[in-house]
Amino acid sequence: MVRPNILTNKKYTWCPGCPNFQILAGVKKTVEDYMVASKNKEEFAMVTGIGCHAKIYDYINLPGLNSLHGRVPPVALGLKLGNPRLNVLGFSGDGDAYAEGLGHTIHAARFNSNWKYLIHNNQVFSLTVGQPTPTTEIGFKEKTTPLGVKLQPLNPIKMMLSVGATFVARVFADAKQVEWVLKQALRHRGFAFIEILQPCIIFHAQAMQYKNNLYWLEKAGHDKTNLEQAMKRADEFDYNVAKKIPVGIFYQVKKPVFEDQFPQLKKLGKNGWKDIKR
Amino acid sequence: MTRYTLLFGGKAGQGPNILTNLLGSALVKYGYYVFYSRDYQSLIRGGHNFNVLTFCENPLFSNDYEVDLMVALDEVTEETHKKELKKNAVILKGKKENMYYAGAIFKLLGIEFKALDDELKILKKRYEENIVQAKKGYQEEKRTIAQLERKKTKAYFTSGSESIAQGAIKSGLDVYYGYPMTPSTPVLGELAGRAVDNRFLLVELENEISVIGAAIGSAITGAKTMVGTSGGGFDLMTENISLAGMADVPLVVYLAQRPGPATGVPTYTSQGDLNLTRHAGHGEFQRVVLAPGDPKECQELVSRAFYFSQTFKIPAIVISDKHLAESYYTLTEPIKITKSKKLTSLKKYNSYEHDDYGISTEDARIVRSNFDRRLKKQEEIAKEAEKFEGYKLYGKRDSKNMIVSWGSTKGAILDCIKDLDLCFLQIIHIDPFPKAIERLLRDKNLILIENNSTAQLGQLIAEKTGVFIGDKHKILRYDARPFLHDELKLAIKGRMR
Repeated sequence: MVRPNILTNKKYTWCPGCPNFQILAGVKKTVEDYMVASKNKEEFAMVTGIGCHAKIYDYINLPGLNSLHGRVPPVALGLKLGNPRLNVLGFSGDGDAYAEGLGHTIHAARFNSNWKYLIHNNQVFSLTVGQPTPTTEIGFKEKTTPLGVKLQPLNPIKMMLSVGATFVARVFADAKQVEWVLKQALRHRGFAFIEILQPCIIFHAQAMQYKNNLYWLEKAGHDKTNLEQAMKRADEFDYNVAKKIPVGIFYQVKKPVFEDQFPQLKKLGKNGWKDIKR
Repeated sequence: MTRYTLLFGGKAGQGPNILTNLLGSALVKYGYYVFYSRDYQSLIRGGHNFNVLTFCENPLFSNDYEVDLMVALDEVTEETHKKELKKNAVILKGKKENMYYAGAIFKLLGIEFKALDDELKILKKRYEENIVQAKKGYQEEKRTIAQLERKKTKAYFTSGSESIAQGAIKSGLDVYYGYPMTPSTPVLGELAGRAVDNRFLLVELENEISVIGAAIGSAITGAKTMVGTSGGGFDLMTENISLAGMADVPLVVYLAQRPGPATGVPTYTSQGDLNLTRHAGHGEFQRVVLAPGDPKECQELVSRAFYFSQTFKIPAIVISDKHLAESYYTLTEPIKITKSKKLTSLKKYNSYEHDDYGISTEDARIVRSNFDRRLKKQEEIAKEAEKFEGYKLYGKRDSKNMIVSWGSTKGAILDCIKDLDLCFLQIIHIDPFPKAIERLLRDKNLILIENNSTAQLGQLIAEKTGVFIGDKHKILRYDARPFLHDELKLAIKGRMR
C-alpha cells in the first residue's frame, strides 16, 4: 500500500525551531507505521487541550476533538467508551495536565483506560506569554512573578507512579525518542503516561541544556517492573536542577483495563455505539 | 371527590418510605389516584423525615396542608405536625412495627386485607414477620375514616426520576455519565440496574467536569449520550456546554433543580435555575431547554431532547426539580416518545472557531460565516420546535383569569383550577420560546406561579413578549418547599377577577 501521510497542509504557527516540531515528527512516523502495518485497519483519534501543544491538532489529519484547557483525559475516556476500538492519543501541556486538569490526570491513571497521554512539558505557560506552571523551577522570574517562583515544582513522574499509573515514561522532545516511546506505549494495553520535556525556546530556553544531561534508564540497568526503583529514579530530577535526567520507561505493569469491566462494550463493531440500532 | 391526606413521619432510617410506597402502590391498584411527596433532610440517620400521601377517586397531582391521618413513628413527628391535623384526624403512634401501622391504615381506609397481603408478597423481604404484624394492626384497629371500593384502573404509579430514566432508555440511550448529587442521583440508580440488560453504559466519573467532558467524547463517536446533575454540578459543566455549542456536539443534559445559591437546601425543592439553563456557557450558541411538569412529560421531553440534540447537533437541557424528581404520581395517559436517529460521526471537532474540515481558524470571514450558520440553525430549531407542544392549556380556555407557570408547579395548579373560572398556561419549551404565547397572554388577568423568589419565567415572558406581570399578580414560594393544593388555592382565589 501507499504510505499514508497524516499531515494536513495547515500553515505552522509554532515558533521556528520549536521542539514541538520534533514531537509532531515522532507522532507522524509512529502513527503512519501503525497504519501501514495494519493495512489501514487501525483507526486513530486524537484529543488536545489548550496551549502551544494543541496546535498539533491542526497539523495532524486525525479525527477527535481540540478540547478545553485541562480536559483532555475525560474526552479521551469518552472516545474509548464511545468506540473502544479507536487508538486514542491525548496531547496536553503542563498547564493542562498539571494545573487546570491535575485531578483528571490522576484519575486517568487510576481508571487505566486504554489510551495514551503525551504531555508536552515546557515548564511554562507559553501561549499566554511566559507565566510559571506547577513544574516551573524555583527562582523563575517573569512579568507576573517579579519576586520569582517560591514553590517546589511538582514531580509528575513520582505523582503518576504513586497513583498507580501502569505505564510511566519520559523522553526529550526529539523525533526518535518520541517515536520509540509512543511505539512502546501503543504496545501497552492500558493507560500510558508519557512526559515529553519540550523546552520553550522563547520563555524557558534554559531547559534546552537538558538535552546534555539525559541518560537512558534501560541502558542504566533500570528494572521497569520495580516501583521502588522507579520512584528513586524519578527523584533524580526535581525540575529545579538538571544534573541527571533519566529518560525511558520508569515503570510498566499490567492491571485491569477500564473498558473491560463493561460487558455491553464487548459486542460493539468498528464504529462503536454509532451502529447500534434500537 | 374527597381528598384524603396521610402523613408518615419519623427519623431517617425508621422506614416511613417503605410504608408510604406500600400504601401508595396498593391504592393505585385499587383504582385511586395517589400523589406522594418526600420531605427529608440532608442526613442518613435521625433527624425528621416525612412523606405526605394524598389520594382521591379523581385525578390529583399534589398534596394538601391539612392532614386526615398521621403515622408518627417518633414524638417529633406529632409535635411538628399537630398544627396540620384536621379536627377529627386520626393519629397512629406508640412503639409499633411499621407493618402493624400498615394493617391499621388499611383497616381505617376500609381496604380489604388481601390488598395488603399482595403488597407484602411483592415486598418479599421479611414476609413471615410482616404478615403477622399487619394482621395484628388490621384486627386491633376499630375505627374507620373511609370505605374504599375497588375500581378498574389502567393507571401507573411513577416518579419523575424513574420517568427520566425510562425516557432515556426508550430514546435509545447509549451512554449516561453522572456524579452523585441530590436530587439527580435517583436517575443514576434507576439506570444502573438496567444498563447491562438494556445494553447501554452507565459511568460515574470523578466530577461533573469529567462527566460532561467524557460525554462529549462519546457523543462525537456517534453515541446517544446523556448526563445528569443538579445546581452546583451543572455550574461545573457549563464550560463544556459552551464547547458542545461551538463544536456541534449532540448532548442531552438533565438538570434536577434544588434550592441554591451554593449548597443551599440540598434535599428540598426550587425552580431557581431557569435563567441558568438559558444562559449557561460563555459565548453565543444554540440550545434547547425543555421543562416537564409531570413524569409523563419527563419521558416525552427526554426523547424530544434527544431528537433536537441529534437533529441539530446542540446541547439540549431537560430541567426538572426535586419535587418532580422524587414525588410519585398516578398517571393514565399513554406516553408519546419522539424517535431520533444518530446523525453524528467521528470527524475533526474543535473548540476553536474552525473551518469546514474542523481546523482552527481566526479568519474574520470564516468566523462571521460560522456565526451566521449558527444563527440560521437557531431559526431552524425554532421552526422545528413549533411542530411540538411547546405549551399546554388547561381549564376554561375563554376565562379572563390565566395562570402561567412551568415545571413541577403544574400538579398543584391542575388540582386548584378544577372548579374555578381559570385557564392554566403551562410553558414547556423554555428555549426556543413558543411564538404563540404572546397572543395567548393578551387581555388576561395573569397570575404567575413559580417556586422561586425572582419570577424567572416572568422575566422570560417579559423578554420574549413585552408583557410585564406585576408583583401583585405573582405567587412565589421560595422556602424550599413545594406548593400545596389547599394553600395555593386560597392564594389563587385572592388574585382572580
